[in-house]
Amino acid sequence: MNVYTPILVLGLLAFGFAVFSAVIAPITGPKRYNRAKVDAYECGIEPTLQPIGGGRFPVKYYLTAMLFIVFDIEIVFLYPWAVAFDRMAVFGLIEMVLFIVTVLVVYAYVWRRRGLEWD
Amino acid sequence: MTFVEANTGEAVVFWICAILSVAGAIGLITSRKAVHSALWMALTMINLAVLYIANSAPFLGMVQIIVYTGAVMMLFLFVLMVVGVDASDSLIETIKGQRWAAIFLGLTLTVVLVWGIGSALAGVPAVGLEAANREDGGNVQGIAHLIFTDYLIVFEVTSALLITAAMGAMVLAHREHWQPKPTQAELSQARFLGAGHPGNLPGPGTFARHNAVDTPGLLPDGTPAEVSIPGALKARGDVQPVDIEDVHAIEEADSL
Amino acid sequence: MTNGQFGFFGTDPWGIVIVKVLGIFALLVLLTLFTIWWERRVVSRMQNRIGPNRVGPFGLLQSLMDGFKLALKEEIVPKGVHLAVYWIAPIVSATMAFVAFAVIPFGPVVEMFGTYTPLQLTDFPVSVLYVLAIASIGIYGIVLAGWSSGSIYPLLGSLRSSAQMISYEIAMGLSFVAVFLYAGSMSTSEIVTAQQPVWFAVILLPSFLIYVTAMVGETNRAPFDLPEAEGELVGGFHTEYSSMKFALFFLAEYINMVTVSALATTLFLGGWQAPWPLSLWEGANTGYWPILWWLAKVQIFIFIFIWLRGTLPRLRYDQFMKFGWKVLIPVSIAWILIVATARVVRNEMTISTTQILLSGGIVIALLLVASWLLQARADRKADAKEQEFAEAQARPFDAMAGGYPVPPMPGQQAELTTRRATASTTTQEAIDG
Repeated sequence: MNVYTPILVLGLLAFGFAVFSAVIAPITGPKRYNRAKVDAYECGIEPTLQPIGGGRFPVKYYLTAMLFIVFDIEIVFLYPWAVAFDRMAVFGLIEMVLFIVTVLVVYAYVWRRRGLEWD
Repeated sequence: MTFVEANTGEAVVFWICAILSVAGAIGLITSRKAVHSALWMALTMINLAVLYIANSAPFLGMVQIIVYTGAVMMLFLFVLMVVGVDASDSLIETIKGQRWAAIFLGLTLTVVLVWGIGSALAGVPAVGLEAANREDGGNVQGIAHLIFTDYLIVFEVTSALLITAAMGAMVLAHREHWQPKPTQAELSQARFLGAGHPGNLPGPGTFARHNAVDTPGLLPDGTPAEVSIPGALKARGDVQPVDIEDVHAIEEADSL
Repeated sequence: MTNGQFGFFGTDPWGIVIVKVLGIFALLVLLTLFTIWWERRVVSRMQNRIGPNRVGPFGLLQSLMDGFKLALKEEIVPKGVHLAVYWIAPIVSATMAFVAFAVIPFGPVVEMFGTYTPLQLTDFPVSVLYVLAIASIGIYGIVLAGWSSGSIYPLLGSLRSSAQMISYEIAMGLSFVAVFLYAGSMSTSEIVTAQQPVWFAVILLPSFLIYVTAMVGETNRAPFDLPEAEGELVGGFHTEYSSMKFALFFLAEYINMVTVSALATTLFLGGWQAPWPLSLWEGANTGYWPILWWLAKVQIFIFIFIWLRGTLPRLRYDQFMKFGWKVLIPVSIAWILIVATARVVRNEMTISTTQILLSGGIVIALLLVASWLLQARADRKADAKEQEFAEAQARPFDAMAGGYPVPPMPGQQAELTTRRATASTTTQEAIDG
């Protein structure tokens, strides 16, 4: 047996449970049709036909997502570095400081241009 | 080139994940809805990760999931921002002959890649990652050893790539503020000093049959309170009239 | 197949694997039912109420009955939904919540039905990353639920939720680095072993605090429960879900709480190892006893979750993002560098503890002074800007300054020509009605 096989077993059990729950509800529950019930919930008013802003969203989220990717990749490099840190010692530290400082340059830039402020 | 025989478990995993990831890739390019494409892409990426793990590269597999789920999420958000929640592709060619050019270039790239990688790997003995992992005492240690010694320059240059990405997002997506943002205290002061209504406006629809924000609340004398309706609904022309029957019903209920 | 250093993992016979899987599944379901009840009771006490006490002893069966009730409720599927994705979302959420638990260690190697096996489903060299990876797939459940509902509140809630989770995932990921550095491994069982004399919560206190903060943000719990801020977004991403599909989201949320608590226990509180007075007893860390210590530690975190919910008001969204990006991330990075430097110094040079502490103190003092100077400078600048703004506002706007038509400066009010002024008043009136 592989170390990953137990995960598969747990995953199958959880998946089966989730599918069972999702499927059982329409069977066990009552069905009373009402036109108002199947409308999207909007505090009681007729649902807005067109979503806000033509269905578009503030581009602000994009900046956050992009910064997330940048830091995510930085973290991904930090992990093997941390695990193997004791072998690399001073050399490893200097390498990583260089890397982090470079990434922090853009972080500082975004901060200064108020890219981190949410409004 | 020598091959290492895969055992049954590995073969099963390969065939399931390979089929799923190719299916995801096909779904990605054939879906009309941009959001569906993003989801298919997530499926492909996760299956590739499973393949990496099955090939004894667990670190790469996990990183693939962590980074690519985030990346696909960003794509998802980008779709929502740029083309809208329910956007679907239009199939009109804007550049003449684009489709044929794309097919031709795609095939050329495939041939070049297969030929390039094939000739680069010919003669390299395939020992499998297990042997490579054993060398440094583990998969993660092995990767760390390679990144932080042999490929040091590449690693440091990656930071330049990250800088470019964040900088680009900043330039494209950031809107400059010309005025200082009013603080909560300033907003509240403005509300009380101004001519408007300082407190909460009367709530809508309280006594109406249609218990909703688009029906005005009634004042004690039975007249509808216009201020209780949000301005946006008025502008949209979505205001429901007050049913006079409701007013009578309330009066009757009060007199009982 | 044996795995070198992970001797016991991957060698269990099928029977043991199935027992362990069923055990984890049952534990998670029971813990969820218990936590919902416990949360309602504790919050009630904090608010001078009694809470559910009718169904079963102390109302313990309340959440179970609520679950049955949900199953017997009508499932309403609104007409605007994207059906396939609408179905997938709760299933993804719930499945990923369960699966993340596979690598949590509950105890040492024990004898189970005649076989020696660790009290942990499985482990491999990157199992902490596995939890992170599964958590990031779990976010999809929330985002897809919001998108597929075809309604505005869920969409807003899910977007907020994804922005929030990715922001706090960075802080969380950074807080792991110091742990990996000290443990020299990313596997949960080895991290627990590495905390033999002292727990990492003690030597890596800042990492611990950052993780605890980030884990509350990551699970969308109060005071960071903005994705389901009732006053603003109704129910957030699950507004359009009802019956068992809603129950699945609810289940996933509570399991995720348990998972992040278990991870905190594993990484910082010594996992299943007995705490100090108990560890004096020889048998404390053998047999099945460690499950008890593990449960107690996890329950402490769960109680903190509940306590926070009963105490703190919800943060404003901009404050929340500011805290994540401007406080947690820079502090984590600085802390990683400090830890790495300290470790190099300890490994490479012969230096006494006093000297380390002294230099650490000097560094902290310098940082404090620098931050104070920066703050003072920022304040001065803000004052100057405000003054400038006031002056600009005081100056009348000259549309032809310097002989060319120019737009108003920031803060200046453009005087409208008569025709435009009339037009804009009319629009304003149309909006006001």
